[in-house]
Amino acid sequence: MTTDRQDDVNSDISGLSRRDVLKGGTALGVLAVTGIDSHALAQIGNPSLPAAFRTEIEVSFRVNGDRSSLALDPRSSLLDVLRDQLGLTGAKKGCDHGQCGACTVHVDGRRVASCMTLAVQIDDLDITTIEGLSEGDDLHPMQQAFIDHDALQCGYCTPGQIMAGVACVREEHAGSPQQIREYMSGNLCRCGAYPGIVAAIADAARAMEG
Amino acid sequence: MSRNFYPELVRVDACDKVRGITRFGTDNRPENLAHGAFAVATIGKGRVLSVDTLSAEALPGVLSVITHRDTTSLKPAQFLMAGGYAFQTHSPILTAEVAYRGQPVALVLAETLEIAIEAAALLRIDYEEVAFAATMDSPLAEPVAQAQAPMRYPLEDVSVGDALSAYEGGAVKVDSTYGMERQFQNPMELIGTVASWDGDRLTIHEGTQNAGGCKFGVADQLGISPENVTVISPFIGGGFGQKNSMQSQLVLAAFASRQLGRPVKIVVPRRQLFHDTTSRPATRQRVRLAADREGRLVGALYDVDAQTSKLDFFPAEHADTAARFYGYPAFKSFTRLIRTDIPTPGYMRAPFEHAAAFAIESAMDELSYQLKMDPVELRLRNDTAVDVVSGLPHSSRHVAECLRRGAETFGWSRRNPKPRSMVAANGDLIGMGVAIGLYSGSGGPTRARIIARRDGTVTVNVGIHEMGQGAVTAIINVVAKRLGVQPSAVTAMVGDTSGVPQPLTAGSWGSTSAMPAVEAVCDALMQALAEAGVETSGNVPLGEMVARTGRDEIQTDASSVAPGQDPQVLGRTDTGRVAPAGPVYPGFVTYSYAVHFVEVHVEASTGRIRVPRVVSMFDCGRVLSPRTARSQAIGGVVWGIGGTLREGAETDARYGGVMNGDIAEYLIPVNADIGSIEVGFIDEPDFQVNRSGVKGLGEVVMAGVAPAITNAVYHATETRVRDLPVRLEMLLRSQE
Repeated sequence: MTTDRQDDVNSDISGLSRRDVLKGGTALGVLAVTGIDSHALAQIGNPSLPAAFRTEIEVSFRVNGDRSSLALDPRSSLLDVLRDQLGLTGAKKGCDHGQCGACTVHVDGRRVASCMTLAVQIDDLDITTIEGLSEGDDLHPMQQAFIDHDALQCGYCTPGQIMAGVACVREEHAGSPQQIREYMSGNLCRCGAYPGIVAAIADAARAMEG
Repeated sequence: MSRNFYPELVRVDACDKVRGITRFGTDNRPENLAHGAFAVATIGKGRVLSVDTLSAEALPGVLSVITHRDTTSLKPAQFLMAGGYAFQTHSPILTAEVAYRGQPVALVLAETLEIAIEAAALLRIDYEEVAFAATMDSPLAEPVAQAQAPMRYPLEDVSVGDALSAYEGGAVKVDSTYGMERQFQNPMELIGTVASWDGDRLTIHEGTQNAGGCKFGVADQLGISPENVTVISPFIGGGFGQKNSMQSQLVLAAFASRQLGRPVKIVVPRRQLFHDTTSRPATRQRVRLAADREGRLVGALYDVDAQTSKLDFFPAEHADTAARFYGYPAFKSFTRLIRTDIPTPGYMRAPFEHAAAFAIESAMDELSYQLKMDPVELRLRNDTAVDVVSGLPHSSRHVAECLRRGAETFGWSRRNPKPRSMVAANGDLIGMGVAIGLYSGSGGPTRARIIARRDGTVTVNVGIHEMGQGAVTAIINVVAKRLGVQPSAVTAMVGDTSGVPQPLTAGSWGSTSAMPAVEAVCDALMQALAEAGVETSGNVPLGEMVARTGRDEIQTDASSVAPGQDPQVLGRTDTGRVAPAGPVYPGFVTYSYAVHFVEVHVEASTGRIRVPRVVSMFDCGRVLSPRTARSQAIGGVVWGIGGTLREGAETDARYGGVMNGDIAEYLIPVNADIGSIEVGFIDEPDFQVNRSGVKGLGEVVMAGVAPAITNAVYHATETRVRDLPVRLEMLLRSQE
């Protein structure tokens, strides 16, 4: 499901999209651009990349309302750019492969796995991270509901759960506990806070819609 | 539900956590940070012959490539259970040896993570490969009787009475063997280090359950004074035992940082965490139970094969738990360690108790059908107030009450005892199962410090780590109640070696060790106020008491040890070592207990198992923080569901390593896997084991979930599953 959503995002962004890269790149280039660390590379000769892939690419986007313009390595994931370059460490790295959801952020209002989103894909788009979900000291209803239901333990997956939870409600996928469980199953919680997460999202859905 | 002694306190760090501002170890980004990435071994065992670094070093942005030729000044790490600080004796990249597939063999440092990853892939590494044993069944695997293994802390087999004769003479018998694959902790936070030097002083930011061990361990490896090392780990993104000791990357990050003269960050990728850190060892357990016609056990024989590495003898403590389930008149265990070429296994949540409960409680269920006796009744008949191994009384054991309350809450009386007799409206087979679990009640030496200020605020510093279990919330609940202050006036400092020593938080001895120290330091504070001439018995607010001393703040220190421990044992935790006591204390034995009731629905044609409902009751002594305890208990049941129906590492014995080494292929529970989980606590303090009355909760919560599920599966399908994880084909095969 994550992949589908990302393709949706890809389809409406200008500039370098993953599909363009896939069409235009060599096999080696694709591996490097998508960040796949493959032992196969070492076994098939010198994997030096075309010089074009080393070019830094200017990307301009808004994060939590603030405009950023950065010259980025085309291989950089949105997650690494947020964390390492912008200091927004709320989004977490739990797998770097789109498997756990700890890196979930909103791109133009839709949830994406930022570890699986090349930063160059977000040119001219609006990013919202956990740091931008609430204003000042006022918590977003989803944040408050997570506290109220103790829907967390270690807190590492929590930013991703909350961003996914907000999107889940906006997508109208929070109509029943069963539906919430299904549409929140891309966000893993190893502490096992799932019952609290479902209750929190159901609560927040009422508050968000009310 | 009885009313809790301690109030419902909202998790004190929840607000920061929901805002994403809690800073975990590798969220730290000092100026001029360099990034590290490993190249890992592509052979099952052998040694590195050469590393061609030319292409990698030619890449713009690469700062350094570190191989075993560069690390000769570093001392190898030592295994935690052999007097050291690390999860195993072997230190990757400190020698040319490759002990297992996926082991790091070189470290690349670069300006960015992308460049480091690319450069690591450019390294050309030649190996000499030798034959290896990747699994317990491999021809080169080496079984060793544990009682004969040269271990620093030897473990004897358990022997009570003449178990073999008792078994052979029993009227009703079970003889079954239960298997379990390797399982991996997979905390959501990846293991990683941010290392930086200020002159000769090293600062480490790392999510670890053992900041003290990391401090002393990395100092030892680097050959520097531990006083020059500070390890900071105030929040851990889940540990579950995988972060309980020094990991491979720590010394390398510190070394690289010193070489480069700039801070270094290494985050170990998820796949590498399946190949260079601990796991719950694979096991085979044979259980032979014999009972009389009334269902009273007369003897038990228990044989365990547990996987270890060829590097270390990881202790297999299954028998110590198995012997405490019931009042067996005779019990005999025999444990073998099977040496294989994997990283040394370790302490994954309920390391032995999850497996032991699966075996013993499955066998008890099998026995119940032979006896045609209700499984709850069978367990009640074999409950015991005395520990059969030591002959000592249990300090507390509320198993029977857990069984009765759990059965009532669950609605056990509605269960038709006949297998395959209960069917849902949609045709699913319904099964109901019960099992108990237990976990050693341990404790150890801990120091605490408290500062009370004129403005009424209090800061407490204690040796424990907050990994999500709610330790800090419990500490603040205890301090607030004891000192009569608002919880919001109290802050706690944990997991930071710049304060009091930070011993390993694991083994469910976190609260049992830290809370007595917290209570002691509160008492010491009141004592100090009294000695300063302040009246402490009235209703004077604490800040006012401090003011009356004429000082701005009062600071006191205190410490505690477990029953029977010499206070000198504090010297061990002061130097980063482990020193727990229990479950056998002078004059008594202490365990925590769990009872789980599980309902499964099995889709009749596909065998798909769902767990719509679990009711669990826990006897963990005093509940210090009802809200976080409840969450921890629910999470433990989720762990039990995963550890039964989902989790197993798969190894191709020809190649070694873990084939399903990521969290899309190694399945951990997702939200859709989890239904209703209702938990309850007996909340009876056990003041024999410590002054706080706590027995430990973090691990017992998952012990016994596995057999409760497979017992329910048997009730639903009449198929006995004896291997975990349960796979659909196990159910389908039996229907052919």
